[in-house]
Amino acid sequence: MILKAQSKWGWLIAAYLFLAGMGAGAYVAGIVADWAGQGWSTIAQIGVCLGFPSVLIGCGFLILDLGSPKNFWRAAMKPGTSWIARGTLIISIFMILGAIHAGLWLWPFNFLGEASSLRHALGILGAIFACGTMIYTGILLGASRPIAFWSTAMLPLLFTVSALSTGVMAVILIASITGSPKEQMLTLNRTDILLILLEFFVLGLYLQATHRVPESRASARLVLMGSAAPLFWLGVVVIGLLVPLGVEVFSTFAGAESHTGSVLAIIIASICGLFGGLSLRQVVLSGGIHAPLRAGRFEYALTNP
Amino acid sequence: MMRYGFVIDLKRCYGCYSCSIVCKAANHTPRGIDFAKCLQGEIGVYPAALRQMLPTLCMQCAEPACKTVCPTGATQQDEDGIVTVDKNLCMGCKYCMMACPYGQRHTVPEWVNYYPEAPAELDPYQAYAKMKWEERNGYGIATKCDFCRDRLKQGKKPACVEACPAKARYIGDLDDPESEISILIRRERGFQLNPEFGTEPSVYYLPAR
Repeated sequence: MILKAQSKWGWLIAAYLFLAGMGAGAYVAGIVADWAGQGWSTIAQIGVCLGFPSVLIGCGFLILDLGSPKNFWRAAMKPGTSWIARGTLIISIFMILGAIHAGLWLWPFNFLGEASSLRHALGILGAIFACGTMIYTGILLGASRPIAFWSTAMLPLLFTVSALSTGVMAVILIASITGSPKEQMLTLNRTDILLILLEFFVLGLYLQATHRVPESRASARLVLMGSAAPLFWLGVVVIGLLVPLGVEVFSTFAGAESHTGSVLAIIIASICGLFGGLSLRQVVLSGGIHAPLRAGRFEYALTNP
Repeated sequence: MMRYGFVIDLKRCYGCYSCSIVCKAANHTPRGIDFAKCLQGEIGVYPAALRQMLPTLCMQCAEPACKTVCPTGATQQDEDGIVTVDKNLCMGCKYCMMACPYGQRHTVPEWVNYYPEAPAELDPYQAYAKMKWEERNGYGIATKCDFCRDRLKQGKKPACVEACPAKARYIGDLDDPESEISILIRRERGFQLNPEFGTEPSVYYLPAR
């Protein structure tokens, strides 16, 4: 009996999960930066302004994947039971708050720039829904019980850590291009180093937790040495985690001055990290294997999952 | 209350695929979609190898996972237990295909000619099937077996039950303890597939041995 992976959700859904997570992560990074006080306002604005557009583009990918896109507006009709419906509500509220926050903080409106307490209040509310968005991308898959590779409490954690890490990397990317103060960049780098190390740890735990049932063991085989292995080892581990980690560690501790070379390295490393975040979603999706049907001692793989 | 249930006798089934074929004819399903799929199982090695066929169809679960995860409300359950998809409400997110433990949710992006080498224009039989498919179902949306609900309304049995030459398929009322299927389930230790997912399937299988 050969268990086949699901093929209905592919790169479009991976892009949706990735962009929703990254946008929410960048927003949270922006809010934290905003609390950090003087000198952080540029970083905070970059983070907050990345949130809404990223999630919006991500939702565009979701709509592209729909078989009957004319009905996309029905996506939130059943929040009582469906995680897509709940997620649509969470993401919509986040996008509205994020758009208000970004819109009122930028020139020419700059209304929130002066009303800082209102800005912080809006930021806390937005950050709650941003966290909801990050966690939701994992729960969405986890609600599919026959796919044991997804149906685990580790997945929301993994996606949340990856969302925060890619969110910080997106902020680093934009901040490097626009040229931000060195001190702040150093702090962002250090934060991302911690997040990448945490992601390694959670990824290890996530894969370790696949030993329980045959279908999730098959998923782990597919990811570690099967058809998804090249994307996992090259895309997720090397390009997505090791390259950014190496560059960030180097630029933090080797005392590389902020000359053009190191800025360019940081930009490339951030792009690599973002690609890794997308690859992680795709690897998890392509490793989704349904449980076999069991009748007596016989097991039957689903033929058209 | 009447709740439709189904019994498949694994002792009797010899894997002739009549159910699959007659289902295609009755429901005009496009190429690649089988509402009544027959799965092959094998265990052991020669000379102690065994093979057992597993005919499947939508389990019309009492607690359907597809209905739980459906964000639009397109998946509905009738009073008689049959789970249906409203083709005008479905947005084609394919979440039900991930959540169904039995692989009984299907989608197809467009009508594909059964004969790849044939001219682009469909033969009259396929053109008719395509028309009927578009009447009841469609493209990009979720579709599924509904126990041939239209035939049931006319007092007939589902096409697969009528066609099964081994008489391995039964339909009846699960809520009536004296119905043929209730008696069969009790007497022959009928079981549900993968009960661990908590969906309470209405299709029961009678063990082969």
